[in-house]
Amino acid sequence: MSEEPMLHSRRALTLRFDLPVSKTKEFWDSLRSGKFVTTRCTKCGSVSFPPQSDCPQCMGSEHEWVDLGRDATLVTFTYASVRPPSFASSDPYIIAIGEFSGGVKVLAWLERAKQDEVKQGMKLKIMARVSSEGNPFYVFEPA
Amino acid sequence: MSRVAVVGVGHSRFGRRTDVSIGELAFESIKQAVDDAGVDRKDIRNVVVGNMGGWSQESLPAVVVDEYAGLSGAGTMRVEAACASGSAALKSAYDSVAGGDGNLAMAVGVEKMTEVDTPTAIELIGRAGSYFWEFENFGMTFPAYYALHAVAHMSKFGTTEEDLARVAVKAHHYGAMNPLAQFQKEITVEKALGSQVVAWPLKLFDACPLTDGSAAVVLASEEVAKKLTDTPVWIRGIGSSSDSANLGRRGSYVGLEAAVRAANAAYSLAKVGPQDIDVATAHDCFTIAELMAYEDLGFCKKGDGAKMIREGQTEIGGRIPVNLDGGLKAKGHPIGATGVSMTVEITKQLRGEAGRHQAPIRKGVGLVHNIGGTGHYAYVTILGRD
Repeated sequence: MSEEPMLHSRRALTLRFDLPVSKTKEFWDSLRSGKFVTTRCTKCGSVSFPPQSDCPQCMGSEHEWVDLGRDATLVTFTYASVRPPSFASSDPYIIAIGEFSGGVKVLAWLERAKQDEVKQGMKLKIMARVSSEGNPFYVFEPA
Repeated sequence: MSRVAVVGVGHSRFGRRTDVSIGELAFESIKQAVDDAGVDRKDIRNVVVGNMGGWSQESLPAVVVDEYAGLSGAGTMRVEAACASGSAALKSAYDSVAGGDGNLAMAVGVEKMTEVDTPTAIELIGRAGSYFWEFENFGMTFPAYYALHAVAHMSKFGTTEEDLARVAVKAHHYGAMNPLAQFQKEITVEKALGSQVVAWPLKLFDACPLTDGSAAVVLASEEVAKKLTDTPVWIRGIGSSSDSANLGRRGSYVGLEAAVRAANAAYSLAKVGPQDIDVATAHDCFTIAELMAYEDLGFCKKGDGAKMIREGQTEIGGRIPVNLDGGLKAKGHPIGATGVSMTVEITKQLRGEAGRHQAPIRKGVGLVHNIGGTGHYAYVTILGRD
């Protein structure tokens, strides 16, 4: 069926997006200095991750930034051997969900761990990284 | 509120359809559905097109499809609920008839996934969640989303990789009986277990393929349905729910809470329970998803999904046959078409027109379970002969 007549469109389109981070700037700036913070609503007290300036619980827009610390516990994970083409230059990676005390859960890569040693309930620590483009991000490592 | 029935169904061949454009592909189903209903297509007040897009070139698929099929002039829109876009289209069309905006409506599901190459499609599906927080830095893939659930389910309930493979074997067994299915070949547990790992513990044979395809249904108000046909299949209830974009915000990873809420809403609307279902389609984009669906729908208790597949309870002759059309796994999963395709299948089952894969119909009630993303969207539709 792949031999069907086909018009290969000449109108290629490259999309590259600029993503607003002004309302989460505190998160990224803190990450650069090695701290992992998120928002807590000063009206109802609920903590959100990802951080957001408007509270999804009470719709209040006053918030403070709280340090989540480093320590988390592994809830679940996978080993992504097939990767999206925009990650072709990365080695296959472990994706984990870690839970912080207080219940905030975060999805991130788990680095410096062998797949056969990864277990639910294992202790993790979250670490700041900087991408080759200079953007801060975060990963888990075994504690 | 009028009762609403499915009075016409249409379904294209699923697969790598490099022979047709999106309009041509949708036409195959629309023509069959209009003929099956015996209606003048000019009397169809609303045409709702389920399509996710991104991998296909047309930005306004609804008007392109409508123009090709001579439906321009109807109220129309494209709706998106990821892999549940087809059920979202069905719900929108249903609501229009139930609410009195015309006596006839059509839901069309269509997806052309092979206009881009496979890596690009993998990239686009992986971005379907919380792009900013879970893709940009971590490269999520669609199998990875479900693998996170598989690991949690296996760990908590003892579900095994063999159990997952059994789901794939069942899908291919029935796919082999469906002339419209993408894969019409039986497989073995050994073959499934030996296939390439895509996101551990999920392998290639745990995953649905990339598919082009379409499906369509014509819906009618009670008054018109009874004039058109002696075998209307009534939409007894459509339950829908949703969950967080970020997987990190989910309560658990052993089921899809949105699916439980959608199922409960549908059972309540239809005034039936899981014990009343003769036949069902469950959203098996990955094998683990079908096992979680058994549990989320109340076909068994939480954690017993693997037991159902081991005991053959979801095969013909079992307690509740599931995915007798081959499911997403073997029939194929053209994203926006799937929910409509499932509705076509259950309508045919309830009419007794499913041919080689006909289930025994006792109570005259069937169920469609259609999930978008990883429980980001959930739709459960209950159909009945009465």
